[in-house]
Amino acid sequence: MDSHDIATLESLEEHLFSAMVLEHATLPAYLTALYSIKPGTNQDASNILRVVAVEEMLHMTIAANLLNAIGGTVNLTQTGFVPSYPTYLPDSIDDFQIHIEAFTPSALETFLKIERPVYLGTVQQRVVKRRIPNHVWCLSPNKDGTTQYTTIGEFYNAIKESFIRLEAEAQAKGSTIFTGDPAFQITSEYYYSGGGKLFPVTNLDSAVQAIDLVIEQGEGYVDEDKPTGVFDQYGEIAHFYRFEQLRLGRYYVRGDKPGFPTGPAIEIDWDAVYLTVVDPKLADYPEGSELYQAALNFNIAYAQFLALLTEAYNGKRELMMRAAVPAMFDFRNLMNRLIRNPAPQQHGRHAAATFEIDATNAILGTAKA
Amino acid sequence: MHLRIDPTRLTTPHEAAGDGNYDAVIVGSGVSGAMIAEQLCKEGKRVLMLEAGPITSKSLRGYNDYVTNYFVSPGKDSQAPFPENPNAPMPRTPLLRKLQPGQVDSNTYMVQTGPYVTDTVYSRTLGGTTMHWQAKTPRMVPEDFKTRTLYDQGLDWPISYDDLEPDYQRAEREMGVSGDVTALRYPGGSPYPKDYVYPMKGMPPSYLDQMVNDGIEGTSVELDGQTIPLQVRPFPQARNGIPNEAYDGGKGYTPIGAVNTHQVDFGERCQGNTNCVPICPVQAKYWSGKTLAKVLRMNDEPDKGEIKILPQAVASKVEINPENGHVAGIQVKVYKNPDSPEHETITVRGKIYVITTAAIETARLLLASGLPSTSGLVGRNYIDHAYLFSWGLTPKICGAYRGTDCISGILDLRNGPFRKHQAAFSVDINNNGWSVATSSPYTDVTALVDDGNLFGSQLRRGLVDRVSRQLLFAFMIDVPANESNRVTVDPQYTDALGNMRPNLSFTTPEYSMRGAAYARQFAKTVFSRMGVIDYTQYSPSNFGYVVYEGEGYEIHGGCHLGGTHIMGTNKNNSVVDANQRSWDHANLYLAGGGSMPSIGTANITLTIAALCYRSTRAMLKQLSFETTTGATIHKTTGYHHGFSRHCDT
Repeated sequence: MDSHDIATLESLEEHLFSAMVLEHATLPAYLTALYSIKPGTNQDASNILRVVAVEEMLHMTIAANLLNAIGGTVNLTQTGFVPSYPTYLPDSIDDFQIHIEAFTPSALETFLKIERPVYLGTVQQRVVKRRIPNHVWCLSPNKDGTTQYTTIGEFYNAIKESFIRLEAEAQAKGSTIFTGDPAFQITSEYYYSGGGKLFPVTNLDSAVQAIDLVIEQGEGYVDEDKPTGVFDQYGEIAHFYRFEQLRLGRYYVRGDKPGFPTGPAIEIDWDAVYLTVVDPKLADYPEGSELYQAALNFNIAYAQFLALLTEAYNGKRELMMRAAVPAMFDFRNLMNRLIRNPAPQQHGRHAAATFEIDATNAILGTAKA
Repeated sequence: MHLRIDPTRLTTPHEAAGDGNYDAVIVGSGVSGAMIAEQLCKEGKRVLMLEAGPITSKSLRGYNDYVTNYFVSPGKDSQAPFPENPNAPMPRTPLLRKLQPGQVDSNTYMVQTGPYVTDTVYSRTLGGTTMHWQAKTPRMVPEDFKTRTLYDQGLDWPISYDDLEPDYQRAEREMGVSGDVTALRYPGGSPYPKDYVYPMKGMPPSYLDQMVNDGIEGTSVELDGQTIPLQVRPFPQARNGIPNEAYDGGKGYTPIGAVNTHQVDFGERCQGNTNCVPICPVQAKYWSGKTLAKVLRMNDEPDKGEIKILPQAVASKVEINPENGHVAGIQVKVYKNPDSPEHETITVRGKIYVITTAAIETARLLLASGLPSTSGLVGRNYIDHAYLFSWGLTPKICGAYRGTDCISGILDLRNGPFRKHQAAFSVDINNNGWSVATSSPYTDVTALVDDGNLFGSQLRRGLVDRVSRQLLFAFMIDVPANESNRVTVDPQYTDALGNMRPNLSFTTPEYSMRGAAYARQFAKTVFSRMGVIDYTQYSPSNFGYVVYEGEGYEIHGGCHLGGTHIMGTNKNNSVVDANQRSWDHANLYLAGGGSMPSIGTANITLTIAALCYRSTRAMLKQLSFETTTGATIHKTTGYHHGFSRHCDT
């Protein structure tokens, strides 16, 4: 057994919760980039950012299904669920951080790195274990913050292998790891996205299928014998290649080889974007100003959204469609209130949502006390 | 879904004119054109499709340009998304004016010869009127098929509800209907087979729907000695909702999202935007491009047929072989640029011809080609719903402008013995405030500023108070067929390409006005039960103003065009047979609402779609008859032989 394997159910639960943190961590970046685009412009980029954001929500929900399937606890309201930006991902310690920033060429490069395909190396190369420098805030599936994966795909592959092994071990003892309440499983009836059906995870087959869906939507079709493909087995184009279309200025169509799209051309107007403060903080806006209040209001709404999702993932599935999805539509207005306005003393940069959820809760807690 | 119209799918005028091997030439890319093409290609047939308008909406970008056109347009009429195109013009409402007796208004594409003026429209662009339809898909009720026999009104169909029922199901699948069958089972409603469910679950009722239901549930109205209990029922609609896992014997259904030249994932669910008409911003609403996307995919499958699309190609004349009355070809004017009348004229030929350009254009084309038919009924019996609006302010905020244009209505007055005396109607509860009647909220701003002298925060509060309490009932009233309501052509009125424009002459019959008068009383009754303050005002200067029994009403068009080439039992009482095949021209089909001898109180698209399946079966039979009998096409003349009789009836 490889030393990097996820050996216990508790560790698997930690990994799955990290998966939720990870899937969610990309949302603030994608949403900010999406709403920084001036209305009526850059339609291609808007569409791509929108669908990727919606699918990240799908992936987070799949991770919740996986975690619920093995009887774990989903709690998005716990401190640290929303990282402090900039942040590293479990796989990004060496080369990049995720920022909350407008849609710019450098943001696009970051998005490509987030979704980059599985590094096709050996198992030993794929998982690295090292200590994270103290000054760096990093997502890590381990409490000690030491295990990292070179790509998100690697991370999910490790989870998949763990599911297979832990279930085999349990079966050998006449039991199963799938002890969760099936009524907690979110299905397509409660959330939908561009591609991929949400199905209940109740056994090993459905767990593996769910994990493969996340990997393929992120990075493309993975096969032992073939390099990753642009389209997954359901004919859906992976996130990495969706973004790569923007970099290469052309859409992929069926049959295209990675790096060589042959579809219609895409033009990006980088000037038709509200340039926002990078990784904004509440402290960047004058206290008592309308911007400060708007930023605080957004964070409050976002905290409520995470609380709603937590309820939805814990048995109140109907809240997904009734409350959580409408909340996502509201974010557009709440974020636009910030993004459409220049922030004072920020060199002409516009405001943006800060996503400081823990800090906001602290402010509200203090206010209450 | 991946709709890819690349150069290999488009054809050129030269290629189309030189190709004598099309099984079918289809004129129009709307619901009938797309569905018939789909059924033919599925069976390996080769289809040429002519579209008079541009095919902008083939890509998400083009479609979204339409959405943007609508958003930035100060007028929000049904054609707001589409740029003016003098080569394939369409009726537009903002320029309409009231006619004095004897007057003719030729200011808009459709010449209004009176006495009444209609604001009915249809769209000439890829997707046809499914681009702007509201996507409500009620079935007709069985009685609608025999109104002459039962009520001594209008005309009977040559087929019954039961004949059409299986095709209703096919159409509901193809269009992706969301609906709750249990809420639609009521006395007088359309009977559904036991255990039938729609592909997707019903749309959730809006807050306003619930408020209206709270106000009327448990109450009833008396009509012609019959007590009709009232309740709000949801309409079935061709908009993506939550798939019903019980559909298709437990196989479920996968919603079809936006079509595009490259992959997008968009439109799998309705988002509740309140502008289904004139354009769904996310393509959650069915439009015929979704069906065309399926047809185009078939081009890649070896055992399937092929479709070629010729855009910006206006069918201008149906050419007839005088020997046998068969259609010999269709003369087409193909233009490169909507801004220039420059065009080339070609003739395209196929084994069969299918004209699917909606009741007004189809009649126009036939009449312009000099084909009034044996019955002389081409263009006659024009039918459209008469719309009457009633509007008011609810006592509490009712959530106007939330949810799709319309989710629910009051359907129990669609049918009953009272139809002997007055027209039945269906009531829409509109979620888009008073917009269809008053152009709210724009007129609310004017009213509050000019009349209320409000500005600043008071104006904002005033608007919120007024707009969020707007309730509007839209009564869709049955209008029976009547030969004097008709489409004609007149050589003095032509478009930029020299094609004759449609002239429309019609009156709303007394039977329907009795229904309208009852509808108005009905609205007042329901408003008072709900505590709604009535704000309804009909202006004598409005183009649709009609006085009936001393009261004035504004009657609007419904864009539910029927009756100009009605189906019937023989060539003397109708233009087409029960399969929409022309009695006079054996290789010609006229598909669409024009074939419908009555439209009852159902929005017509679902029934049009259902008829396509029926017609396509007849076409396939006809095409296979031609093959088995060894009949050949005389390519040199383009005339076809071998279709000397109806082999399908």
